[in-house]
Amino acid sequence: MELLLQTILNGLLMSGVYALVATGLALSLGVVGIVNFAHGEFLMVGAFLSYLLFAFRGTDPLLSLGLAFLAAFGVGALTYQGLIRPALKAPELNQMLLTFGLSILLQNLALLLFGADTRVVAPPYQATTLSLGPFFLGAVPLGAFLLSLAILLGLQVFLTRSRLGLAMRAVSQNRLAPGLLGIEAERVYLLAFGLAAALAGVAGVMLSVMLYASPTVGFIFTLKSFAIVALAGLGNLKGVVPAAFVLALAEALVSTYLPGGGGLVEAVFFLVLFLALVVRAWRLA
Amino acid sequence: MRLEVKGLEAGYGKAQVLFGLDLEVKEGELVALLGANGAGKTTLLRAISGLIPPWRGKVLWKGEDLRRFSPARRARLGLGHVPEGRQLFPLMTVEENLRLGAAFLAPEREREGFERVYTLFPRLAERRRQLAGTLSGGEQQMLAIGRALMGFPRILLVDEPSLGLAPRLAEEVLASIKQVTEEGVGVLLVEQNVALSLEVAARAYVMEHGRIVLQGPSSTLLEDSRIREAYLSL
Repeated sequence: MELLLQTILNGLLMSGVYALVATGLALSLGVVGIVNFAHGEFLMVGAFLSYLLFAFRGTDPLLSLGLAFLAAFGVGALTYQGLIRPALKAPELNQMLLTFGLSILLQNLALLLFGADTRVVAPPYQATTLSLGPFFLGAVPLGAFLLSLAILLGLQVFLTRSRLGLAMRAVSQNRLAPGLLGIEAERVYLLAFGLAAALAGVAGVMLSVMLYASPTVGFIFTLKSFAIVALAGLGNLKGVVPAAFVLALAEALVSTYLPGGGGLVEAVFFLVLFLALVVRAWRLA
Repeated sequence: MRLEVKGLEAGYGKAQVLFGLDLEVKEGELVALLGANGAGKTTLLRAISGLIPPWRGKVLWKGEDLRRFSPARRARLGLGHVPEGRQLFPLMTVEENLRLGAAFLAPEREREGFERVYTLFPRLAERRRQLAGTLSGGEQQMLAIGRALMGFPRILLVDEPSLGLAPRLAEEVLASIKQVTEEGVGVLLVEQNVALSLEVAARAYVMEHGRIVLQGPSSTLLEDSRIREAYLSL
């Protein structure tokens, strides 16, 4: 029983970061209408930024969070201006190939610059654990979970209270009306895409401590995010958090209970994606 | 303050829809644009607000050519457009829809806008927390008009507000549009309901196959034998 609860706890703590990354993907999909296979590479940018700052300047990853937010926002905004905007009216397949190509380009650029090694950011508190009765909580996963929740809560307030947030939801619901109301939709797309990248960038910093930074770390998260978004339902931002919990929990259960589960964890999202799509197809039929 | 259209030609792809139109609307007047389905009324509104580029001719705002202005920039100048099919944000509340209509204004103006719209359509005030997609057809039309009014337009284009509404509701909506012009807004009203529009509008244009074929004060048009035969079936 204790093992089960500990497993559920582990899943819960992981779900925050998953939700953060997947919310970014859902934003670019829902608001800008683009299937962004390079979303995880924004995460990688954040992870490497955190690693470089830590390795060369000794910067605490907590301080890198803000920098990664801005840097990833910048990279996202540039990507939108240079690549996405010209392709906005192109067929979906072209857009997907474009972002897929960008993903491969960025991964290999990172490989060239940093090599294939995994790099871990190890601040003094990295291995600290807190014990809660019979359970153990890693300080870093707990911090990442709470921070992710706080960011998502902030995002929720932004999307429901601020004018810019309202405009982001508006362009996702109707493409024609915002222009007639004096809202430049393209500017909203730019900010939404930048924000989506920034969320991934922040998650990248967290993962540089919890996991590692490597050229391919982002791509796994792109795939996991797609599984989460498919489970939540396309364009359903609120569904992302519970969907992220489902995936993280499934991974934790597999890792604890299946013999040799550690190796199978990275396949769980395929199962989740598969089941989400099949169940969805059933409901539609 | 006036909106002028001069020799406007426009279309989609290779299909020309508008063949040299001239028209003007001044602040504070209610002008009806009448015509059968497919005459090009909606296309004309889309060209005026910049959703499609003109092939030839001009749209002038206070005498200035709007050619290079995006639809959003035209809206910020004071050109409102209540589009065909209302184009609301269905998953947002009435209040959020209205706020988006004032997205480019200072916050004080937003409060003023809410007051104006809720006075004009008290029913929207009752439903302010309801999702726009769950409103009745008439309420949705009121919301579409109210949302455009939140930006304090000087000239407002309204596309078929009575479409799909029960006769009594259609009258109600047209009466509130008339009230808007009395507050000093110029309105170009596209309608298929000719009898009702000529009742509220001061003057009207009649369009056929992308051209203006008839224009004048509503009282004169109501007497015109062609109008009586073709549109009023008298």
